[in-house]
Amino acid sequence: MTLTSSGVTDTEIILGVSAAFSGPSRGLGIELYRGASAYFTHINQQGGISGRKVVLKTYDDGYQPDPSVKNTLKLMLEDEVFLLFGYVGTPTVTRVLPMLKKFQDRNIFLFFPFTGAQPQREPPYGDFAFNLRASYRQETAGLVDNFVRINRKRIAVFYQADAYGRSGWAGVRSALKQHGEQIAGEATYRRGEKFTGSMRKQVEILKASDPEAVICIGAYAACAAFARDAVDLGLRVPIANLSFVGSENLLKLLTEGQDNSESYTQLLVNSQVVPSYEETSTPAVKEYREMMQQYAPQPPEELVKEDYTPFAQSFVSLEGFLNAKLMVEILRRLDDDPQRSQLEDAVFSIRDFDLGIGEQVSFGPDRRQGLQRVYYTVVENGRFVTLDNWEDRFGKK
Amino acid sequence: MKIKKLFQKTRFGIFALFGMISLSTSALCIYTVDTHLSEEYENNSKNIAKTIADSSVDILLNRDLAALQSLIDQFVEIQSIKYIYITDESGEFLAHTFVPGIPEVIRTDDPFKTEAIERNLPGMGDFVEVGSPILAGIAGTVHVGMDTGLIALKIQRAIGRQVYLICIILVVGFFAAIWLVNLAANPLGDLLAYAVGRARGEDGASDDKLLSRDDEVGHLANLFFYVSEGKKSEQSDT
Repeated sequence: MTLTSSGVTDTEIILGVSAAFSGPSRGLGIELYRGASAYFTHINQQGGISGRKVVLKTYDDGYQPDPSVKNTLKLMLEDEVFLLFGYVGTPTVTRVLPMLKKFQDRNIFLFFPFTGAQPQREPPYGDFAFNLRASYRQETAGLVDNFVRINRKRIAVFYQADAYGRSGWAGVRSALKQHGEQIAGEATYRRGEKFTGSMRKQVEILKASDPEAVICIGAYAACAAFARDAVDLGLRVPIANLSFVGSENLLKLLTEGQDNSESYTQLLVNSQVVPSYEETSTPAVKEYREMMQQYAPQPPEELVKEDYTPFAQSFVSLEGFLNAKLMVEILRRLDDDPQRSQLEDAVFSIRDFDLGIGEQVSFGPDRRQGLQRVYYTVVENGRFVTLDNWEDRFGKK
Repeated sequence: MKIKKLFQKTRFGIFALFGMISLSTSALCIYTVDTHLSEEYENNSKNIAKTIADSSVDILLNRDLAALQSLIDQFVEIQSIKYIYITDESGEFLAHTFVPGIPEVIRTDDPFKTEAIERNLPGMGDFVEVGSPILAGIAGTVHVGMDTGLIALKIQRAIGRQVYLICIILVVGFFAAIWLVNLAANPLGDLLAYAVGRARGEDGASDDKLLSRDDEVGHLANLFFYVSEGKKSEQSDT
């Protein structure tokens, strides 16, 4: 195997991944990986990109910043991957970004991290990352706008006490300011909280602020615990979650083995940055479902030490799938001797690209985020479906 | 014997002296360590608050609050720093590390305070909080809370180590002094016994050993010997 360029051999293009494959948020890393893996497997079976297979060099960071930094160093300096791909989380990515700047002479870019935070969208680090998904600002602004529209103006925030939570909190604050409102109440939890943990203190704090809706900025285990305790303590208001939460994992926790599952999920509304995987009329969704079924992708065996049952389909794996699809398109636009230095031009050449979800993707020097749209979903018959009417569902009676 | 009593008094005196030295040294040590470490922790917190304040300017003016939160999260990993919060120029909380929420006592307090204050936060413990203005206060204030319980524990450990050392020195010093006193007391006891024996006109078995010593005891023994011998010859002459 001859190394022609960093991370590229005659037969492979190696992409570096550091994500959560362990801990309470492992579902996010695993599902994102599975979705991407389905598409890369498909491409590799078709002969790869100019005869080179796409290979993922993957490490587990457990959704913790320090391991993420160590993994990235290893990927950049020891493994010499071609680019970084599919990272998970704001606290992890925000620590990795300065490393990309430090090694900017190596032209290592981070592609499509699973976070909607601002640091990889703005100076001084925005030039080292490319995003596909809409931002948390867009998600929180959409949620706030819709709540305010149906006259639910007293909005409280439940958030993870870290950069991710702060990013979402800032989004809610900014969106409320646009309506002349401010955050009604706030409560936090520590990253890594499990579903078995209690969120009663947080619920009591928010209850005291008499909110008309709560926006949660967290991971599925803590957000599910909050939704459960909110219902149990009589906080009966819409509870919104951002796309990062991992909707299927959240739903699983709130329904499996719970006597009160319907009331736990009745007032949930989750924003998504990809369309529903139930919309089979959408070409990319159809393609995704077929490939997930055909290849049944599994997470790297050596990284998954704890029990995890993958989902047949999920919003997170669909996002991973779309990330991989666009990544392949970018790699195809490189010449036969792919160099990292060509990557930026290849990305900027993506103009009105049809990813198959009804929204054109474009990139440019001032546009480093491909998609802008936010979708809203609620639980119906034990699954998340698109929310059609906010007023009917959450309007004040 | 009188010599025994004299040295018992000396031993007691040594013990009292060493005890006094140890107690006063320990008290001084406790005071010094406590004062210095407390000052050091407070200064560290002030420095951390100032570092965050200086680093925050660019973030507050140009970047997202997630970057600010990421910054303070790194500092709160330092031992004894228990919480950090940043308020803007209007007093609004921009970033903090509290879980499950900002304590009421902090929420309702003056957000521009920068002097060191002691706080008791229900359910969290006792803290010393210091503040540092961001851009001379026009961009906000950084507040850093130190766990006084943890600091007290660290100070106690430092003092404990020092007092432990002093106690070891006391015990070793005391026994060394006893040994040295005995070193002087035993020959003096022998000398006393010799002097009494000579006075009674007895010849002891250890006379030669005592008379052959090349120190003050030997000299005194020789003196007693000559005096008693002189008396003996005077008595035989008469």
